[in-house]
Amino acid sequence: MSTQDSYTALMCSLPRSERLFVDRLPPLSRLRLNKRLRALSPEDAKVLHILEHVLSWQEYDIEITEAQAVDRAKQALPLIPHSTLRRLFMDRMELRSAVAALRLRHRGEPAPIAPFGFGRWTRHIPAHWSEPTFGLDAPLPWLKQARHLLEQNDPLGLERHLLDTSHRQLKRYGARHHFDFEAVAIYVLTWNIFDRWAHSNAEAAAERFEVLSQQAMAAFGDINLEGTHP
Amino acid sequence: MNELVLALGWLGIYAPMALGTVASAIGCSIAGQASIGAMTEVDSGYGRFVGISAFPSTFVIYGIVIMFTLNREVTPENAGGLFGIGILAGIALLYCGISQGRACASAINAAKEKPEIFGLALAPAAIIEGFGVFAFVFALVISAGIS
Repeated sequence: MSTQDSYTALMCSLPRSERLFVDRLPPLSRLRLNKRLRALSPEDAKVLHILEHVLSWQEYDIEITEAQAVDRAKQALPLIPHSTLRRLFMDRMELRSAVAALRLRHRGEPAPIAPFGFGRWTRHIPAHWSEPTFGLDAPLPWLKQARHLLEQNDPLGLERHLLDTSHRQLKRYGARHHFDFEAVAIYVLTWNIFDRWAHSNAEAAAERFEVLSQQAMAAFGDINLEGTHP
Repeated sequence: MNELVLALGWLGIYAPMALGTVASAIGCSIAGQASIGAMTEVDSGYGRFVGISAFPSTFVIYGIVIMFTLNREVTPENAGGLFGIGILAGIALLYCGISQGRACASAINAAKEKPEIFGLALAPAAIIEGFGVFAFVFALVISAGIS
């Protein structure tokens, strides 16, 4: 049987990726996903690990430098034999490079001298540093909205916009793959986006709870901790 | 030369049967794997999934019927006709069987989440079956012209 159908049973044993974003409860935990992924061949499991190692934020230390992240991506790219996954990988790293450049500029940093980030725009971005979207409106149409959200100091909105953009990229690449390894890898990367999405929701809920509880406490400022009125 | 022509004639007689078997085996395997995967995800409706995964088994039957229709004494005069019809009908059945297996796998994958689209999801598989029937029927019709 061709590789086109090599993971039919595995893909059919997973809930639809769209359900991840609409169900109130997660339809698939990471533990259960990992159990299903045992069906992958050792070679494919290795490629998936490489992809996740570079594309999943959980795999990065908070103190990692830009040069280290770029090195990691450069080392990983030749180890990915599937052309769709390579293109997807490039797209995602270019997205990250462009967002990193936006953030640097927002902090008031000058244009980097050396090539910046990873992908096709490493020289283009420093050369167009003063332009609102580095002159990348056409190839990266999502960049305009990202810049807008960054300038409005809306980190949660920016995070969601980037997750949404990444999700749309994955859907576009996944449309041509149904039961092969690429489909499995794209599913796992979508699950990672869902996971970050769920965490950002939890963080938003925690912030909202904090604000509401402070408002409530302000309204009843005369209640002391022992629960007795003065 | 005559021996080669006669061998091609025999090849043409058995090809629909052999390629039909391969088609059904691969098609049922693809759809069967999909049904096994879906059964680990849902709590009911297992029988429907298994039923769909048997859809591509019809191609081996078409192949057997074409083989019996073509089966006759092979001569240098009719060997070319037997070869042409048998091989091309077999290839058509092979592609239809594999494609139907994939269509069934997609139908199972979709129907496990939305049981209400179960019938509609089978439409592509039914259309592919129709193409297989065309190849089958016209192989029978045209084989009547071979002496």
